Formats: sequence, structure tokens, C-alpha cells
Amino acid sequence: MDDERNRGHEQTVIEMPAPTAWPMLMAVGLTLSFAGLVTSVAVTIVGIVFTIVGIVGWFGEVLPVEHTESIAVTPALEVPRAKVAVAYLEVGEMGHRAVLPLEIYPYRAGIKGGIAGGVVMAALAVVHGMILHGSPWYTINILAATGMADLANANAATLSSFIPSAFIVALVIHGVASILIGLLYGVLLPMAPRYPAFFAAIVAPLLWTGLLWASLSVINPVLDARIEWRWFILCQIAFGAVAGYVVDRTEKVRTLQHLPFAVRSGIESPGIMRERIEREPEK
Amino acid sequence: MAGSIEHRIALSAESDHASLPILGRAHEWVVTVDHKRLGLMYIGGGLVFFLIAGLQAATMRLQLAIPNAGIIAPQVFNRLLTVHGTAMVFLVGMPILTGFLNYLVPLMIGARDLAFPRLNAFGFWLWLFGSLLLYFSYIGGDGLYGAGSAPDVGWFAYAPLTERAFSRGNSTDYWILSILLTSVGSTATAINLLTSIFCMRCEGMTLRKMPVLVWLAAVVSFLMCVVLPPLSAAQAMLLLDRFLGAHFFDTQAGGSAILWQHFFWIFGHPEVYVLVLPAFAFANEIIPVFSRKVIFGYSVMVAASCALAFISLGVWAHHMFSVGMAPAGNAFFAASTMLVSIPTGIKIFNWIGTMWGGKIRFRIPMMFSVGFLAQFLIAGLTGIMLAVAPFDWQLTDTYFVVAHFHYVLIGAIVFMIFAAIYYWFPKATGKMLGERLGKWHFWLFLIGFHMTFDTLHFAGLRGMPRRIYTYQPGRGLDTINLIASIGVIFQAAGILMFLINVIRSLRSGKPAGDDPWDAWTLEWSTSSPPPEYNFAELPVVRSRRPLWDLKHPEDPDWKYE
Repeated sequence: MDDERNRGHEQTVIEMPAPTAWPMLMAVGLTLSFAGLVTSVAVTIVGIVFTIVGIVGWFGEVLPVEHTESIAVTPALEVPRAKVAVAYLEVGEMGHRAVLPLEIYPYRAGIKGGIAGGVVMAALAVVHGMILHGSPWYTINILAATGMADLANANAATLSSFIPSAFIVALVIHGVASILIGLLYGVLLPMAPRYPAFFAAIVAPLLWTGLLWASLSVINPVLDARIEWRWFILCQIAFGAVAGYVVDRTEKVRTLQHLPFAVRSGIESPGIMRERIEREPEK
Repeated sequence: MAGSIEHRIALSAESDHASLPILGRAHEWVVTVDHKRLGLMYIGGGLVFFLIAGLQAATMRLQLAIPNAGIIAPQVFNRLLTVHGTAMVFLVGMPILTGFLNYLVPLMIGARDLAFPRLNAFGFWLWLFGSLLLYFSYIGGDGLYGAGSAPDVGWFAYAPLTERAFSRGNSTDYWILSILLTSVGSTATAINLLTSIFCMRCEGMTLRKMPVLVWLAAVVSFLMCVVLPPLSAAQAMLLLDRFLGAHFFDTQAGGSAILWQHFFWIFGHPEVYVLVLPAFAFANEIIPVFSRKVIFGYSVMVAASCALAFISLGVWAHHMFSVGMAPAGNAFFAASTMLVSIPTGIKIFNWIGTMWGGKIRFRIPMMFSVGFLAQFLIAGLTGIMLAVAPFDWQLTDTYFVVAHFHYVLIGAIVFMIFAAIYYWFPKATGKMLGERLGKWHFWLFLIGFHMTFDTLHFAGLRGMPRRIYTYQPGRGLDTINLIASIGVIFQAAGILMFLINVIRSLRSGKPAGDDPWDAWTLEWSTSSPPPEYNFAELPVVRSRRPLWDLKHPEDPDWKYE
């Protein structure tokens, strides 16, 4: 297309592929060839002729030498320097190229927060069962019913009794969900730096409670019918407040995004960091 | 031989073009092999089909606005449904998005054209003629001189509905042939893009310095090369069934209807990513420029896109939970579908991370991008809900699914198409699109979209089946459907504003200049519109933001990358 002689300031023309109708003719031909299946064999015959003519014409365009046209060159544009100078942020040690967020919580903060929130939530749920149903196992069995079909239709007496398999299922569901939501808190809280406590204790729990409230009748109608929503909201807020508190108390770590992959993955790569520091602009 | 080659010197492309009569100018477009013109032709053609398929959707919503409406016959409804769905995927989504990639990729990689310019033209014309074949069925569905009978088998064309016994006449054949031809055209474009991206990047543009859009173009092209052949194979097998009496999908003769579903969804689900990844690509360019920040997590963004493409190849059967697969199969496809949420979540967080702390300019492209972010999040959440097999059993084939995929196709993809049009229109035409009309367009379309598709979730939850042409009153569906249909009027008004804006801007729009958004990628370093050869001198880049380096030589990016 272009070659070395076209490079540089002195060039006046550039060779570009010449316009051609052969590809279009071939496309018409192919379409007609197929369209003949639903119209008439004559259409297919015309289509095949067009296709062959198109192929021959197309070959002639590129063999033995590509058919080109010469386009006169207008001088290259100069990209003007920006009138606005780069504004440096004061925060961040990497100059204006601060990778926001500068600091994040380590993953362990989310796991710890999830476990702490989960413990408090479980305690509240047990209290709920004892106050409203006279049994600490009632809420545990209700949670287990999300994974155990036979419990979904159980009567109140069964739900109030201790069932080892239900206890294990509930423990797994509650534990996994708590840790996952705790991890989510660890990721999300740096995104809400102004009011983390409000976000953690009120906004997030109400959001997912609202989502569950709207959809549970479809996902699990039995569970929906048995849930005490005021207690449920209270438990969620307690979880959010505790998990948020634990996460927020954990010391943040710098984001690693600006570091090379080799450094992040712990591969010995002498010289990388020094080189980077040397390149850093002077403030 | 060389002496016989026509060797035309265009003294000045612009003056030469302007002096041509209208037929001459039309001829220039017809014979062009320029990637920019072909890109614009893809986009223009796609927008025309968008209007037609949109009108078909509006007609269906008119019919569904009130219970027992007799505006159109059931058969007409089925035809509208089929052609609307097929057109929106093959005649609108794919061509507009590949049109953008066609236009932008060579400019962004600092090349003069795509690797195979004539193949590019061939791909476009094959797509166009294939598309016309679909709509030609309205005239000649029963043969050249037959009555019109557009396809009525749904865009998924489930077997054995498509066999001769259940689908007489030729309308289904038109559907098959149209998709077959457009798929071949799309495959040609994909091969062209892949070759160009890996072989024609300008000096200094290593893979780690490519714009994210170019990365995603490569991923999408790879995906197209992988998933379009199974679709074409299925179409060929269906043709054999219908014309030569083969029995691949004919259940009465021992064929398998499920086989069709597997073939179709092996293509159909990754196709969602063929459509949505370019939309992501636009967001990756627009959000940083309007936030005045570099993209947050470049490497992770690229890795997440590759992961999405890879995972999308292994989730097709989540469209088939209600078929009755083995529990292990259901569990596998439910789990693999949920995996999609990880790279998707990474992307959403990274876009938010890009905006956070940025100096955001809420111009029209950015407004559409923010709308996209929120809507795609909701689309993702309902997608995860549908990945739960028992939930899917309850809601499959209801309007909940219709609302979910329209959140992806309109809420994400169409919104980002509009964002991209507002963003790159100045580059392609040299004129700005009007800001005031653009805001009208955005707000009307946004309100209309939510009126229609938020409510349809509830129609689905209340058990309204999809693909029905009417419903009985008093089942809690009347108000929902009325609101959804009124939403279409808002959307149509928004589109009207957009069309007026485009026509007005083309006639008397504000001159854009070469770089109206103060952007950083290479396409903004050339004139608006760019010359045929793109760059007078092929650029040399040293960072992901080559224009930043030129504008800020005191503090270029390459020091830090």
C-alpha cells in the first residue's frame, strides 16, 4: 500500500487500493445463486455467472500487481500543545498519575468483617427465634429450608426442633454468604469514602433487603411466607454495621495497579523499581 | 500488465469529490474499498434497518397495549416478531458495531486501511444483499411470483417448527439464506480485523499499548470466527432438511430438535458478547476522555474481556434449562454462567474507578455511557437470576426474559451505539451533533426505555408468556402493558430527535475541528473527516495515549508505562 518512498515530509502522493466494483458483483452473484433456491433456477444461473465474473475481475484487481490509485497528500496536521498545564494532585506519591483509589482494604479485612457481621447476625437470628417462636432453631431451620426441599413444607413444630443436617446446611449457607458479602464490603467501601458507616450499615443492607423482598416471592415463596421482615431488616443492618466497622478499622494498603506484573506476582526482577523511580518527574 | 493499470491522481480528494454530480458521488460510494466509507455504510445501513425493525416492534407493542386488541392478526404478529428479532441482531447490532470497528480500528492502530480492503467491500455487500433477502420475503415469500409470507418461526427458529411439515412456502428459506449470507459477510470482516490488528499496527504500538477498543475488536473478531461457522453449519443442515429431505432436525423421522438448539445457542450466546463487547469498547474510550483520566486497570480490562469471550463459549445451554437436561448439565451451565459475573463486575468497577476522582464532563456521549453503566448492571443482575436453574424454570419464556435481554440489547448496546455516534460523528463528518437536541434524545429515550422494559419485568413475574399476540383482561397485565407501550412512544420521540439532529448537523452543524473532545487516541490526530490515506505520515507511538504525549511533551505518558 505505502512503502518507504512514501514516508517522510517530502512525499506528495500515497498509493491506495483503487476503487472497484468486482467484490460487489461477486456478492450480488452469491446472493442470487442462493436466492434461486426460493425463486427460480434462472436466478441461480445468473447468480453463478455474476459470481464467476466477479471472481475473475477481482483476481485481475490484485494479480499480478495490485491496482492502486495515487492520492495527493495534504500536509500532516500538527497536534498543538495543550494550553492547560498538567495539574498535580497533592495526594499520592506518583504525581498527578495517582491511580484512584490510592488505598484499598486488604481482602482479609472483608473476610474478617464478614465473619464478625455473620456472628452478630446469627446471634440476633437466634434471639428472634427464641422470642417469637420459643426455639433457637426456628430461624436456623428456615435458612436451611432454602437448600432443603423437605424442610420447606415442614410444620412449626419441626422447624422448632434441632435437626443436625439442617444446622450444617444453614451454617454453610450463612458462612459462605457472610464471607462473600464481607468481601464485597472490602471492595466497595473505598468507593464510598465520605460516609462509610452510613453506606455499610444502612444503604447496602436496605438495598439488598429491598431486592430480596421484591424477588423472594418468586424465588422461594415458602420462605417468603415465613420471613419476619422487620427482624430480617434488623439483622441485615446489624450485619452491615459490624462488617463495615471491622472493615473500616483495618489498615488500608496501597493499590498495586501501578506496579509491574513481575513485582506484583513476587518474581525477582531487579532494576524494575529503580528504573521506575528514576523516571518519576521532579516535583 | 502493469501498464494497463488505471493510475488516477486525485489532485485534491475534497474538491474532486465535491465537483462530482450526485450519481458520480453515489458511484464513488458503490465502488469504494476505503474502510471509513465502508464503516459508514455499515452504520448507515444498520440505522435504516434499526428504524424498520423499530417500527415493527412499535406495531407489536401497539397490539399489546390493551387486552384483546385486534389491530393485527396472530400470523402477522408472528412475522413481525421473527423479522424484528432477526433484523435487530443480524441487520442492526452486528453491522453497526462492526461498522464502527471498521471505521476506527485502522485509524486507532495508525494504519492506512484494513489488511484486505476488497474483502472488506465484499463483506459489506454480502451483508447488505443478505439483509435485503430477509425483507424481500415480504414480497416473495412463496417464490418469485408468490404471495408475501415473511418468516414466522422466531429469530431462534426452533426445530421442528422450521421443517417443511410445519413451515410451508419459502419464508423460512429466506430467513435461512439471509442469515447464511450475512454470516459469511461478518466472518470476512472478522478475519480482516484480526489480520489488521495483528499485522498492521504502527511503529511502537505493542500489544500493551493498543487502545482497549482495538483489543476488544480483536476479541470480538476471534469470537465471530469461532461462533459463526456453527450457525452457518446449522443453516446448511436445515436447508438440506427442507430441500433434500434430510432429517437432521426432523423429529418425525428420527432427527433431533435439541440438536438445533445446541447449534443455535452455541452461536447465540457468544453472539451476545459479539454485540456487547464493542459496546464495552466504546465505553472504554468515552468514559476516560470525559472523566479526564486514564482508564482504570488497563491490563485487567483487557484480561476481563478475554475471559468474557472465553467463558461465553461455555454457557450456551443456560438457554436450555427447561429442555430437560441432566441435573449435572444444568448445574454446570448454571455455574459457568455465574462465572460471567466476575469479569463483568471487574469491568463495571473499573469504569466507576475511571470516573471516580475524575473531572467529569457530562456531554451527550458521557450521558449515554452513564446510562449504559446503570442499565448494564441491572441487566447483569437479572442475568444472574436467570442463571439459577429453578428460577429459570419458572420464568423462562415469560416477559421477564424479554425484559432482561432488552436491557442488554438496548440498555447497554443501543445506548453505547448512540454514545459512539455522538462521540465519533465529529470525526467522520467534521460537524458536531447538536447538544440541545442530543439531550432531548437522551432523556426521551432513557425515560421511554425504562417505561417499557422495567415494567415488562413485572409482566414476566406475573406470568405473561412471551411471543403471544394478545392476552385476556383482568390478569394484572393491563396497566403494565399500557405503560410499556406508552414507553415506546417516548423512545420513538427520542429517535426522531436524533434523526432531526443528524440531518440538521449534516446540513449546518457547528464545525468540529480535528479534536473536539481533547481526546488521546490516534484517530483524533488526523483531520475531520480523515483523508483517504488516514495519515500523511504513519504515526509512531510510545504510550497508550499518543496524543497526550504530543500535547504534553513536558509530561508524557511513556515515562510511566
